[in-house]
Amino acid sequence: MKDLIQKLKKRFDVNDVVYQKDNQTYLTIAKDQAVSFITHLKDVEGFTHLVILTAVDWIEDNEFQLTYMLNNPGKKVDLGVRVLIDREEAEMESIHHLWKTAATYQRELREMFGIDFPGSPRVNEDFILEGWDDIPPYRRDFDTKEYSEQTYYPRPGRKTHDPAEYMKKKLYPEE
Amino acid sequence: MTEESKYRDKFPAKNPDGTNKIDLDSHKFIKVWQGPNHPGITGNMSLELDLQGDEVMQCKTHVGYLHRGFEKLMERRRFIQCFPICVRIAVPEPDFNEYCLSASFEELAGIEIPEAAKWMRTLLLEMSRLQSFLMWMGGQAGSFGIGVVGQWTNYARDLVLDRFEEISGGRIYHMHMTPGGVRGLPPTGFENRMEETLQTIEEIMKDVKDTLFDNTIFKKRSIGLGVIKPEMVEPYGITGPNARAAGIPKDVRKDYPYLKYPELDFDVLTAENSDAYTRAELRRQEIHMTIDLIRQIMAKMPQSGDYMAKVPNVLHWQIPRGETYVRAECTRGEYGYYTVTDGSGYPRRINVRGPSYTHAVALMEKMAIDVNIADTAGLMVSLHTYPPEIER
Amino acid sequence: MNLKDLFKPFTAWKNLLAEPVPIKKPLERQGAPRYRGFHKNDLEKCIGCGTCEEICQNAAIDMVPVEGEETEEGDSGLRPRIDYGRCCWCALCVDICTTGSLTMSNQFQWIDSDPDVFRFVPGADEKYWDDEELGYKKPDNYELNNLDRIEMEEMEPEKRNHTFLEIVKGFSKEQAIQEADRCVECGICIATCPAHMGIPSYIKAIRKGDVEEGLRIMYETNPLPEVCGRVCTHKCETVCAMQHRGEPISIRWLKRYIADQVSLDKYQEIMGTDNLEKREEKVAIIGAGPAGLSASYYLAMMGYNVKIFEALEKPGGMTRYGIPEYRLPYEELDKDVEYIKSLGVEFQFNTKVGEDITLEEIHKDFDAVFAGTGLHLGRSTKIPGAEHEKCYQAVDLLREFTQGKEIEVAERIVVIGGGNVAMDISRTLARLQNKQYGQVQLVTTSLESEDIMPADEEEIIESREEGITLKPGWGPKEIKVEDGKVKGLKVIKCLSVFDNEGRFNPKFDQSENDFFAGDMVIEAIGQGMDISYMEDVELTERHKVKVDENYQSSKPWLFVGGDIVKGPDAISAIADGHKAAQGIDNYLSSKGEK
Repeated sequence: MKDLIQKLKKRFDVNDVVYQKDNQTYLTIAKDQAVSFITHLKDVEGFTHLVILTAVDWIEDNEFQLTYMLNNPGKKVDLGVRVLIDREEAEMESIHHLWKTAATYQRELREMFGIDFPGSPRVNEDFILEGWDDIPPYRRDFDTKEYSEQTYYPRPGRKTHDPAEYMKKKLYPEE
Repeated sequence: MTEESKYRDKFPAKNPDGTNKIDLDSHKFIKVWQGPNHPGITGNMSLELDLQGDEVMQCKTHVGYLHRGFEKLMERRRFIQCFPICVRIAVPEPDFNEYCLSASFEELAGIEIPEAAKWMRTLLLEMSRLQSFLMWMGGQAGSFGIGVVGQWTNYARDLVLDRFEEISGGRIYHMHMTPGGVRGLPPTGFENRMEETLQTIEEIMKDVKDTLFDNTIFKKRSIGLGVIKPEMVEPYGITGPNARAAGIPKDVRKDYPYLKYPELDFDVLTAENSDAYTRAELRRQEIHMTIDLIRQIMAKMPQSGDYMAKVPNVLHWQIPRGETYVRAECTRGEYGYYTVTDGSGYPRRINVRGPSYTHAVALMEKMAIDVNIADTAGLMVSLHTYPPEIER
Repeated sequence: MNLKDLFKPFTAWKNLLAEPVPIKKPLERQGAPRYRGFHKNDLEKCIGCGTCEEICQNAAIDMVPVEGEETEEGDSGLRPRIDYGRCCWCALCVDICTTGSLTMSNQFQWIDSDPDVFRFVPGADEKYWDDEELGYKKPDNYELNNLDRIEMEEMEPEKRNHTFLEIVKGFSKEQAIQEADRCVECGICIATCPAHMGIPSYIKAIRKGDVEEGLRIMYETNPLPEVCGRVCTHKCETVCAMQHRGEPISIRWLKRYIADQVSLDKYQEIMGTDNLEKREEKVAIIGAGPAGLSASYYLAMMGYNVKIFEALEKPGGMTRYGIPEYRLPYEELDKDVEYIKSLGVEFQFNTKVGEDITLEEIHKDFDAVFAGTGLHLGRSTKIPGAEHEKCYQAVDLLREFTQGKEIEVAERIVVIGGGNVAMDISRTLARLQNKQYGQVQLVTTSLESEDIMPADEEEIIESREEGITLKPGWGPKEIKVEDGKVKGLKVIKCLSVFDNEGRFNPKFDQSENDFFAGDMVIEAIGQGMDISYMEDVELTERHKVKVDENYQSSKPWLFVGGDIVKGPDAISAIADGHKAAQGIDNYLSSKGEK
């Protein structure tokens, strides 16, 4: 794995390498190099299996982290390719030409995180959330609890007590 | 001129990529929705089919009928509170979720679980595989009109669920693997009851072989249906029996050994020409392999010992920043959890890779083309998909 | 098509006469012995800590008052009510239950047309499965709580009984965080602490690594954290939710940890007290013990001009002159006092009210007075021989030793008493015996049998470790004096100390007796107060000063607290001082308005 990373470092701007376990490594690549990097990995280095493509919302850094989990079935190693993109104008090049199934992932990311992949087939079609009119729900600033409280009505009659406060009320209310 | 293309010329010519040209205004097509409530659909999902005659010209899959946002829900739950949720991501085989979730937390928190817990987890995963395959077998037979097989195999599955109930106190959602270990070892006398169950299943599987696999109807309808060519495996991210039936020996248990699989004796089963029949036959063999694995586990497993590692107080448990991907071989292929932690008491992001995500969407949409509408259900089942893991 | 395939499926017909497999009477089907069925709760065991509610990821549990369950120390009186519309039977509530009261039955059938009945209080709302033995219980080797304390390092007995250096070493940061991690934050302890300290909050601050925040939280209710972190009677630990199945959280040591971490010169900055707003009124405090120090701190924080009159030469009261240095080093006590001093509190030492100055004189110069003069007079057993000059009072000896005076140490000593003061004097003298004679020959005897001895358990254990012979369950009969010299103590068997109504009324068996040889005898059976300086104040039936809930006496300007009203212990005195400070503030504020 270390050899491969050294080799990749010569050709690409590879950063933040983390050797998570024997057969799994994570690294960060700049957005503009990402697709050529991934293509290189697929076509040259044997990372032919796209395991997942997903995003992590680092709202505090105003960034989305796209994670392309690539697997080399021959060598049985994984490479987690992180691409950090701007959260405000979330857009990324599509990789559906490399893996057919990437289009599904990208469609989901478009819907759940609001990350656009121009050119990806049916990327703007509703995937899971038909008729959704709120912000993309997997963004960190979407509050599921608040949403459900606004959307559904709570069951009446539920009331709880904090043990410490309740004991104060009962045992030493004057203080 | 082949048999097929003789009548094919009455159909509009295909696009270069193998899809059909659909023109609904031509009145040559009819749009049919199969699902979301349809016995031929595995769970709640729907197929939007454009038909010409009784043949599917185009298929679009629709999910979202049971999206509960589990990945998001887990982001606001403590680590220990995630395991009762994650089981719901694949209802018929919750244990793979339990394992991947727990293992990813343990890896990121640097916790090594005791030996007995590893054996226990291996046992649970194989039992889960067995019951899930049994249920699937009934579904596959049923979707081709052979309902009796479903009755038998679901009975067999219930017997496995009885064993689950003994171990964990739950039949469907076992919730037996928690971050740090398992909630207990099998009760006394379990081994005998397990063996009895396995023998009953073997008997039933003989009948299933005679009634389903040596059945003209089944053969006629399933052979040649939904062929997965080996070259489709990579682009469509196909894993598990769907890939193995195409001759690609992919099995997480062998390729990325976890738990106690390195100590078990088994081979990766493969077949050639992955059509619905081959895949069913491969899964039938997998059932027997799983039975064999359970016997091996029962023989090697320690009867006592620690089964829970020391974990911090679960109410305040914080896991340092990190990310990992943990995978396991479920009945349908590669199951995996991509877990990101940020040093807080809650997971930052959990992404679940269910094999159905690729099998039931992109692959199904491709494979349904030119299939007779009567066979779409059988095709769908032959891919062995569970919609809840698509939308999580 | 092959013919075999056409006919083989018909072999299924062989099942036509087979016995059907379905369960014949599904309603009678039993769940497995571990089945996670309907909840049960042992209401007697349950303390209403609410940890089940905290862990429930479905928010299915509410803590509600239940008829018949009283709120008392160590029991909130609340019980979990489960909403079966939300419950997923994951059993996390069972696993985390601090007392082990919550379990599950193996029953799973419950039919009702009213959806509201499915929200119920297990144990309180009677259900048919309440007595079901089978069902899920927390497995034995599976633990989500950490039951064992982080061990506290202490000086070994052989070493420590030669020195007055502090015995307990205190937690390291790592240990403190680990210990703090054990807390389930239920807050049951708060009610039991006399000062109602925000215990879970400062423990949380330790977990977060923020000792400054911890210090701020402690000072809200207790201005003597170094003292209390060492010698508090830690009643909180006796009700800790963890002690039901394991060891309680070391609350006292955690408190000490916070105070130890912060150096005195940072206190004002952390607490934001470098620029307090001043008020006109002046308040005098009599006695620089915990009660007086506490009152002076909170009054100073409110901006009052505070002056403390202390009879002895240094502050601290009993915490200095009663508690030995190996338990509470003087520099730690000084640290707490110095901070109070830095807020502008004045001290006048060597001034005994009633002798050097009268209460009335003080009242002339001050708008209000708080008296917390404590219990400094030793009580005598009044048995024959007790008037001998070699028969001493423990409090006197402890005070004199602290003052640096030479005290007598005989080769063989007998101590009468079973409380902490008896332990303090025994252990102090044991150290001095070691110094002077190279060995400990000291017998400590008490009326109480060991199970009801009032001394802290660790005091009893540590005394033994240091070579002291404990003889509990004996009543002092006579100090044997021959040729004018003390020879020892004659004792008779004590059968019981309290009568059926819980009053002090010892019963003896005259026939069973013993003799403990000794050259000096020390009495440590309790202390009395000297409140002769207060004239014409109303007293209670038990001859204590009568005060209202604000610690205001019959003289509106005079507030009284500490051991002479309650206790005796430091934390109660601190709580008194705090409440009295608020009382004084109320009094002076309302007076100012008039």
